Amino acid sequence: MNERDGDGGDGVPSAGQYKLRLFITGSTPRSTRAIENMRRICEENLDGRYDLEVVDVYQDPEATRELQIIATPTLVKILPEPLRRIIGDLSDRERVLAGLDIAPLDQAKRKDA
Amino acid sequence: MNRQPDFAAADHAQLVELRDRLREAEETLEAIRNGEVDAVVVGGPAGQQVYTLENADRPYRVLIEQMQEGAVTLSEHGLMLYCNQRFATLVGAERESLIGEPIERFVVSTETSAFHRLMDSGRGARRSAEFMLQAADGSRVPVNVSIADLKVDAQMPRVLCGVVTDLTHSRERSHELAAANMQLASEIDERRRAEDGLQLALDAADMGNWELNLVNDVVTRSARYDQIFGYTAGERTWEWPTMLSQFLPDDREAVDVEFARAKRTGFIDFERRIRRVSDEAIRWVQIKGRTYYQDGKPVRIAGVISDVTDRRHVEEQLRQAQKMEAIGQLTGGIAHDFNNLLMVVGGSLDMLDQRIEKDEKTARYLAAARQGVERGARLNQQLLAFSRRQDLRVEAVCIEDLIGTFENLLDRAVGETITVHIERAPELWYCRTDPHQLETAILNLAINARDAMPQGGAITLRTRILQLDAQGAATSGAAAGDYVVVSLSDTGMGMPPDVVDRVFEPFFTTKDVGKGTGLGLSQVYGFARQSGGFVNIESQPGSGTTVFIHLPRTARPVAVETATHSTAEIKGKGVVLVVEDDNDVRAVASSLLENLGYSVLEAETGSDAMRLIERGGRIDLIFTDVIMPGDMNGIDLVRELKARHATIPVLLTSGYTAQRIASEELVKDLQLLRKPYNQVELSLAVRMVMNDRA
Repeated sequence: MNERDGDGGDGVPSAGQYKLRLFITGSTPRSTRAIENMRRICEENLDGRYDLEVVDVYQDPEATRELQIIATPTLVKILPEPLRRIIGDLSDRERVLAGLDIAPLDQAKRKDA
Repeated sequence: MNRQPDFAAADHAQLVELRDRLREAEETLEAIRNGEVDAVVVGGPAGQQVYTLENADRPYRVLIEQMQEGAVTLSEHGLMLYCNQRFATLVGAERESLIGEPIERFVVSTETSAFHRLMDSGRGARRSAEFMLQAADGSRVPVNVSIADLKVDAQMPRVLCGVVTDLTHSRERSHELAAANMQLASEIDERRRAEDGLQLALDAADMGNWELNLVNDVVTRSARYDQIFGYTAGERTWEWPTMLSQFLPDDREAVDVEFARAKRTGFIDFERRIRRVSDEAIRWVQIKGRTYYQDGKPVRIAGVISDVTDRRHVEEQLRQAQKMEAIGQLTGGIAHDFNNLLMVVGGSLDMLDQRIEKDEKTARYLAAARQGVERGARLNQQLLAFSRRQDLRVEAVCIEDLIGTFENLLDRAVGETITVHIERAPELWYCRTDPHQLETAILNLAINARDAMPQGGAITLRTRILQLDAQGAATSGAAAGDYVVVSLSDTGMGMPPDVVDRVFEPFFTTKDVGKGTGLGLSQVYGFARQSGGFVNIESQPGSGTTVFIHLPRTARPVAVETATHSTAEIKGKGVVLVVEDDNDVRAVASSLLENLGYSVLEAETGSDAMRLIERGGRIDLIFTDVIMPGDMNGIDLVRELKARHATIPVLLTSGYTAQRIASEELVKDLQLLRKPYNQVELSLAVRMVMNDRA
């Protein structure tokens, strides 16, 4: 499973572009939920400013080594730095946004305050 | 918090990062502890290993269980380690009873070795083949088995996994497809045979076929179609206007109308004339066909075409022959009655002649009246000649012997402005005919030729031999064989076709009123037919006319009978029974006989005559008409007399039909007196019959 979205699909993201990688294990329930949650969060908050890869560790176990993945599902924010990992099915939206260092669009004022 | 100076000097950013990584590690542990992950990844010397937690592989199990293909895992030796429900259904057994069983139990015996080869071959590779499974209940299921090595762990024993696809439906579809193909093939075959048969029928019927596409006006034709129109092979395609233009200008509108009608009615069938390209000949063609529609609109008209010129020609001749036959019947009937009238007038004149005082004037009137009767009788002979009911005195005649007579005749008939050529035949040919009638025929033709050349010209009389084959004979309405053809040509004005068609009809004449009777060519026609021959005429306006009389050729001459004619009446004695249905004729006949000295008994019908004879009085001669109404005519009377062994002599009389009855064996020896007769002729005939019997 390998999916890319938005601009910068060539791996050279422009300024302000998010580069994300989601590690899953096949069609397991949490992996399935993680994919769905990730897509919704990206569409609602990143509005095309992201590049998402979904990696099935069954198919490519070695891909876990570089980013030191120890469990799935795990979302890794590669860019912008710093690199951050968020483990679980990504159903806690607040936690994911915090981990990605993104203020929710509808709560931007509160964060500024 | 105690802060070491170097620690305090630590970069603030590093501090933040460390704090974040700590939080991340805590979160990871928390997630694993809470069971929020499906798998953990463990690095090792053999590479990254993925360990799934809980029932993380459940979706795959469900996938395998639910799929429509049978799935099995097999040990190296072919024992079933796992099978899904579909496989169990395929082989018709409970799943529990299958695990641990060798799968080959369900492969038909003839294919087990092939199945082994599939399992053993190509270790590590995927392979598949088709087999026949034998279910537990004995039924057979065609399947495709696809086998692959299931490589999970280096330490695990070798395991194979197989996917078994039921091919029943696809086989059925293949069979259906094959059956449909077969059906189609046989239909094509059938159709080709039908087309061959159709072509054969078209060839046999000498028909061409054609198709007019109403969308683009293009006409498609067969080779025979082109032949009929006089084209050689390989003509270009053409369109409707070209097709139409091949018909005669007079017929084009009608053809156009027929095709327009066919678009509405769905059918076409007509006969029209074309001009054949090869020889400019006008030919009749018959076109038959039907219209094909698409969505209610006519899109094409297709059909056959045949050249019906010959058929129409024969039909035309048949119609003509039937017309002449009908006219002949009519004329014959009239002539019969006319003869009786002449008989009465002539007989009465004979009796008047004997009874009245004659001064010069009366004698002249009587002579004129007699002349009138004679002319009427001659005219009647011509009518009878046409209707083929005259007495033909047929002999084997050598035409060349008669040429001299003809020459005199022609010279007398045509006058000085016209030259006569006689072309004599190189051989002596005999034909069966009545020389006197032939003479009359030539004379009639000569008179016509003369009238066609008022400014003078030439007449040529020619004789030759014609061999008529069966086809020519059928066209001419005569028998096949050799004919002597006597033809007479003139250089006169000729006749248009519509006149030529009618010239043989009695009373048809183009001459001025009073100049001709319209019976000349009728006599020629009737005489030739009665002789067993026929007549042709060739004529075109401006280029003269030739009439050909065809008479059947005969091999050897028969001795010519010479009849002696006496002109003096012979009186006699005895009782004569006169049988005649016409009262006036009977009265005249009786009077004539009484004048001659005979006693007369009269009977109106054959039956009356029989009753008189049976009474047993003296009767020396029966003088009877041949044609009488009622149940007994003259012939019947003779037959009846013969049956009763009566020995009374019989003299027949008739206005016609002599030829017909003469062929009957019964009356072969009987004498026949032709009406109208005069007193002298009657006396001679009666005398002869009575003497024969005496």
